[in-house]
Amino acid sequence: MNGRNEENLKELFKKFIGAELSEQAVEDIRQGEQILRSHTAPEPDSELIADIKAEITANLLHKEKNTFRKMLSKTTAVAAGFILLAFIGVKFFEKNQAEPERLVADSTLPEAVWQSECLADDSADSAALLTEVEQIENDLLALQFGENGDNGYEAVTEMEMELTEINVDFWKG
Amino acid sequence: MAKSNDLAQLISGCKSGNAESFSKVVDTYASRVYGYFYRLTGNRETSDDLLSELFVKLVEKIGSFRGGSFESWLFKIASNIFYDYLRDKQRRKKTLEVLKKQFESEVSDAKEYDSDRIDKLQVQLNRLDADTRELIMLRFYSQASFKEIAAIRSEPIGTTLSKLHRGLKKLREMMK
Repeated sequence: MNGRNEENLKELFKKFIGAELSEQAVEDIRQGEQILRSHTAPEPDSELIADIKAEITANLLHKEKNTFRKMLSKTTAVAAGFILLAFIGVKFFEKNQAEPERLVADSTLPEAVWQSECLADDSADSAALLTEVEQIENDLLALQFGENGDNGYEAVTEMEMELTEINVDFWKG
Repeated sequence: MAKSNDLAQLISGCKSGNAESFSKVVDTYASRVYGYFYRLTGNRETSDDLLSELFVKLVEKIGSFRGGSFESWLFKIASNIFYDYLRDKQRRKKTLEVLKKQFESEVSDAKEYDSDRIDKLQVQLNRLDADTRELIMLRFYSQASFKEIAAIRSEPIGTTLSKLHRGLKKLREMMK
């Protein structure tokens, strides 16, 4: 070890116990360590070393598996995050791109009235309608002023029938 | 001791999970660390267990090695393992004492040392207190400097010097 080879024991002891005692201290340590060197400790069995190496290999494999599992779960989590973000992004984009919603309401008028592109026909129908409305107006005035001279009940019934007929015709288009 | 370049390559290999690199580290350091454990415990079986534990811990902790002396780092782990073992042994001893009181005739002393293989040094080492014994063995087997040993033991270098000096002097006297 470099640290140990570079260290000057005598100088080190000098700092703590002074120059006089440092030499003796270094000698005590040298002799003590000489005893340790002359009594070698037993070596580990080769079987033990083989067992340790096998255990290390098993641990490394286990560690590798765990690392792979962790990596896989992290990747899955990140991918799921991306997919979720992409989904939200697409939804958001679609929402921005969409046309304003149309107000859909059921019309009480027949579609034919609105969808007709024939202006001439429409004008003729309008003219007929106007004529009939005028006729009804006249009839109503006559009734109001009693000009019919007939039975008022019949006149009202007749008017009602006419109105019903107009109504049916009109909504038929 | 591995040359610094070779050692750096070995450590790098270990960090990347290379079994071959770990195998070389085991070959390089097993003998020294085994000697350290054996001289501290005086028992081969216990030393076998502690050595296995050390290398298993090495696999777990190699990622946290941030340079400096690898031997010091390795022996710091070994030292922690030894003190953990010592604490566990003391706990067991206490339990054993309680059991002994309950079943005086049934429980015999646990065999702590390999009495058949033990040498004179081991006998005398066992007479030293555990802390001094650990310091002497740490210095001898790790081959670390006093500065490094003081750092491993988290104590001032003066304390380390003084403890080791007294311990070795006492051991020498006991061995006479």
